Amino acid sequence: MHCPVTAVNQYNLNLDDRRAAYIEYPQAVPLAFAIDTDTCIGCGLCENMCIAKAVDYADKERETKVQVGSVILSSGSQGFDPSGLDFLGYGKYPNVVTSEEYERILSASGPYFGHLMRPLDREEPKSVAWLQCVGSRDANRSGNGYCSSVCCMYAIKEAMISKEHAHSELDCAIFNMDMRTFGKDYEKYYNRARYKDGVRFVKARVHTITEVPETGDLTVKYTDETGAMQEEIFSMVVLSVGLKIPETSVELAKRLGIELNQYNFVETDPLRPVESSRPGVYTCGVFQGPKDIPGSITEASAAACLAGADIAEARGKDIEKVEVPEEVDVAGQEPRIGVFVCNCGINIGGIVDVPDVQEYSGTLPYVVFTDSNLFTCSQDTQDKIKEMIIEHQLNRLVVASCSPKTHEPMFMETLEACGINKYLFEMANIRNQNSWIHSNNPDIATAKAKELVRMAVARAATLRPLNEKVVYINKRALVIGGGIAGMNASLGLARQGFNVVMVEKEAELGGFSRKLHHTIEGKDIQAYLKALISDVTAEDKIRVLTEAQIVGFEGFKGSFATQVLVNGEREKIEHGIIIVATGGDEYKPKEFLYGEDARVMTQVELTDRLEEKGAGDLSTVVMVQCVGSRNEENENCSRICCQSAIKNALHIKKLNPDAQVFVLYRDIRSYGMLEDYYTEARRQGVIFIRFDKDAPPEVESGSDGVVVTVKDHILQQNVEITADILTLSAGMTAADTDDLSGVMKLNRNPEGFFIEAHVKLRPVDMPSDGIFLCGAAHGPKLISESIAQAQAAAARAVTFLAKEAIRLSAITAKVDVDHCVKCLTCVRSCPFDVPTFNEEEKVIEINEAICHGCGVCAGVCPRQAIQLSFYEDDQLIAKIDALLEAA
Amino acid sequence: MAEEAIKLGGKRKSIFMDKVKELLPEGGNLNLCLTCGACSSGCPATGLEGMDPRKFLRMAALGMDDEIMSTPWTWMCTMCQRCIYVCPMKIDIPQLVFNARATWPREKRPKGILGSCDMALRNESRSAMGTSPEDFDFVVGDVLEEYQESQPEFAEMEAPIDKQGAEFFLNQNSREPVTEPDEMVPLWKILHLAGVNWTYGSKGWGGENYCMFLADNDAWETLTRTTINQADALGCETYLNTE
Repeated sequence: MHCPVTAVNQYNLNLDDRRAAYIEYPQAVPLAFAIDTDTCIGCGLCENMCIAKAVDYADKERETKVQVGSVILSSGSQGFDPSGLDFLGYGKYPNVVTSEEYERILSASGPYFGHLMRPLDREEPKSVAWLQCVGSRDANRSGNGYCSSVCCMYAIKEAMISKEHAHSELDCAIFNMDMRTFGKDYEKYYNRARYKDGVRFVKARVHTITEVPETGDLTVKYTDETGAMQEEIFSMVVLSVGLKIPETSVELAKRLGIELNQYNFVETDPLRPVESSRPGVYTCGVFQGPKDIPGSITEASAAACLAGADIAEARGKDIEKVEVPEEVDVAGQEPRIGVFVCNCGINIGGIVDVPDVQEYSGTLPYVVFTDSNLFTCSQDTQDKIKEMIIEHQLNRLVVASCSPKTHEPMFMETLEACGINKYLFEMANIRNQNSWIHSNNPDIATAKAKELVRMAVARAATLRPLNEKVVYINKRALVIGGGIAGMNASLGLARQGFNVVMVEKEAELGGFSRKLHHTIEGKDIQAYLKALISDVTAEDKIRVLTEAQIVGFEGFKGSFATQVLVNGEREKIEHGIIIVATGGDEYKPKEFLYGEDARVMTQVELTDRLEEKGAGDLSTVVMVQCVGSRNEENENCSRICCQSAIKNALHIKKLNPDAQVFVLYRDIRSYGMLEDYYTEARRQGVIFIRFDKDAPPEVESGSDGVVVTVKDHILQQNVEITADILTLSAGMTAADTDDLSGVMKLNRNPEGFFIEAHVKLRPVDMPSDGIFLCGAAHGPKLISESIAQAQAAAARAVTFLAKEAIRLSAITAKVDVDHCVKCLTCVRSCPFDVPTFNEEEKVIEINEAICHGCGVCAGVCPRQAIQLSFYEDDQLIAKIDALLEAA
Repeated sequence: MAEEAIKLGGKRKSIFMDKVKELLPEGGNLNLCLTCGACSSGCPATGLEGMDPRKFLRMAALGMDDEIMSTPWTWMCTMCQRCIYVCPMKIDIPQLVFNARATWPREKRPKGILGSCDMALRNESRSAMGTSPEDFDFVVGDVLEEYQESQPEFAEMEAPIDKQGAEFFLNQNSREPVTEPDEMVPLWKILHLAGVNWTYGSKGWGGENYCMFLADNDAWETLTRTTINQADALGCETYLNTE
């Protein structure tokens, strides 16, 4: 703070300044000051000021040698630099920014503290245009032929956040060639932006941006779909820059002797997606190929799975144990409550008067200490909280910040580290439930924050310490599904030393991939499958059960018991974790004369036809995309059908270059490296015609072929194509798991795919602990992606199986058997079938190990004979009383 | 435009675009169109005759050869290359337009361009105005003399024609010697003040190549060869194209 030097803040992409002695950003780990030696003038001020004598100007970069068994490369990417594209005016017009800069502008810790402003005059923009594919899908100016995969989604997100941040109506327009929202539920987000929030999506690439000199606004000219020239003025233009591998990563790869592809991504085999060309060196994230956060996290776990298998014998060595201090007995002590009020950057502090709320909380009963923080969740604040707990002998902690759903476990850990029972903690959500929704009325928000804090403090005073049950982990795994995902997950576990029982409902292993021939890269899927099956059957640690059906299930994480029916016999399998890999299938179309005209077939059926009969007899093939996807019945994109069409189109062209192929599409979604195949298909003469969802192609059976009529999107004129074959790019559906999900109580989304714990951050965990998910059971995906996800699920399972024991949540329901009248309302109401009637003892029992702590039973019990610990009646009533008290 | 549906399918026929692809390196990338419209949004001829570069390429790709070879839009393209400059696939639309022009019967091509090309073919000046080498020589000498006299600071200025061993070979807009001879002088002055050793050629001094815009391959080659041969014959190292 005392540093006299002003330096350009690179973290905020040069949009503001910082000191030469600085912390890179508020959430940095470790959260420590550093000196920028390029700008430091060596005045000695910080050295003299520092009480801890921590400043050492002579500190140098040091090289350290580390002996390791495997290496994972995850050095990521940088945004494409558009300075060289003179026609876009970046670097020339201040209000043209990159998407990376725009992210900083929107961020609470950014140059404008989260206020939506444009660089030229710090005015709030009235309109913002996003230009997609800057430095992506561009073989000419940038040389990056690939699709960066993430820009469509981040542009939509930026537009949605901008609309939220803006104080008046904000016009957001996204100029694109194709909107590539191919991830799980991404299409729903796209539709919401488009139809509900009014984000405009313009199918056009802009030639040149010019500035209106008087205002700094930007003129954008484009031709619309009818060919008419349009001109629009925007306050700001955001260039959606693609992902690029930095030069330093290229050098790193050279030093390590691993191969990169033509765009400098790590060269990998689609059937070994996270393995580099050098054994023992793995890769994940964008260095592997352009991808989003869930994909990166999945691959990170996959790389960890393989890297861990290489060194499995060494597991458990070199581990430092975290010592948790013995718990302080607070029973009988008067409550001593500490309240920490969070600014959350400006998320809360920009609306709520935080100092006022802090001061108010100090007046509440039992409160002996208060504080406020910029980010209460940061590492340094945790250290500060610990100090204050000890210094002020606090025995209850209240944090007024965000959602307990995301942050409660972290604060509970902080309590434990001070020897305080973690259940002596309460949160007041003054962000999601307050500052975000009352952002236009700060006074009301501040008053409500006080009420929320008052309620939290009242409840905190009533909290009691709770003990968690310890469960010893059964080291065996159950894998459900014997397709490519299930087999890879099983091998991943076995190679890390764990026993696996793999259950397959069919007589043969392989699942849906048994119907497939080649990947788009030309890999032989049947040969791969054969090798994989032989690896699985040869592995001693894997027991394969085919024609098996799961008929019974009980237990809880670490200690499950599953009943399997094989050959008419029931077998009980005890296991510690579950990996769900039940796979998917091709949608059976009802549309476009499928089943009525034999010349109409799906992509999978076309592949068979090409394998059997070739394409020598074919003159014209038409393909229709999004059949059974992106419609009312199934809102989502099936992700793989664009590449299936391109794969088969290229196959036809290879077998018979004279055959004509027409692909009728809505958006071509050949993400990542798949874009090269789209380009190749066009090079081979495949014609792509875009149609609107509301004007699908019309299909008739004719004597010379199937006649397909569609309006050409460029000529705005109908095209009538007589085809030998009409191929439907049928979407991907989830396997039928109605029975399984019922027996095992696993939640699925409306489309029948299983639901992960967190769509971005926990893509292979299921909401219940100890249960993991991979392959098409999670959502449509390519074989390469299924393999990576299977390896990821195995790695996640290993983190669980490697433990000896776990502690279960103490938040469970307890029956007061003296007052219970055995009405069985709880038995009927529990969504997890936990309460049971013990016939011998004649009492209702709730097994705390499997109780989810949802509280339904406590709510429905007509005699109030059930209490949910941590949410006991007196604790909730204390909250309500506090609310009704006059402030 | 006809409202009738475009009929496609059946056996693949060779189309006009295939022939153009054969002529160009990488086939001019003509197949690679993403239909993004970047070309059209920057094209000065977009909207004329209901046409734009993207539509033109699309019609060619769909084999609408009659339309491609008959639309007068072909002649509205200025060959400025703004389309190929930003095209993500670097598609050589100007070459497609050029080859479409070449399919027109010569006499049907636009009179202005045709007349200027024919003028250039009349004599070795290769001037679009038909000016002879002798007339050019006279005008240059006359104008030079006038300036040398009226502006003493340029008394030493030169405007040489066919100067052996000059470093730079300069060509000249055809219209100026005939209609605006004074317009030639500013460049002479600059070259003089810069101390550049330059020359015009008596042959091939005409700077425009209307025969190229006319898509008359033999004729534009004749024009180009005349001027380049003259530059070579004079031993010039650098050709300064002023057009």
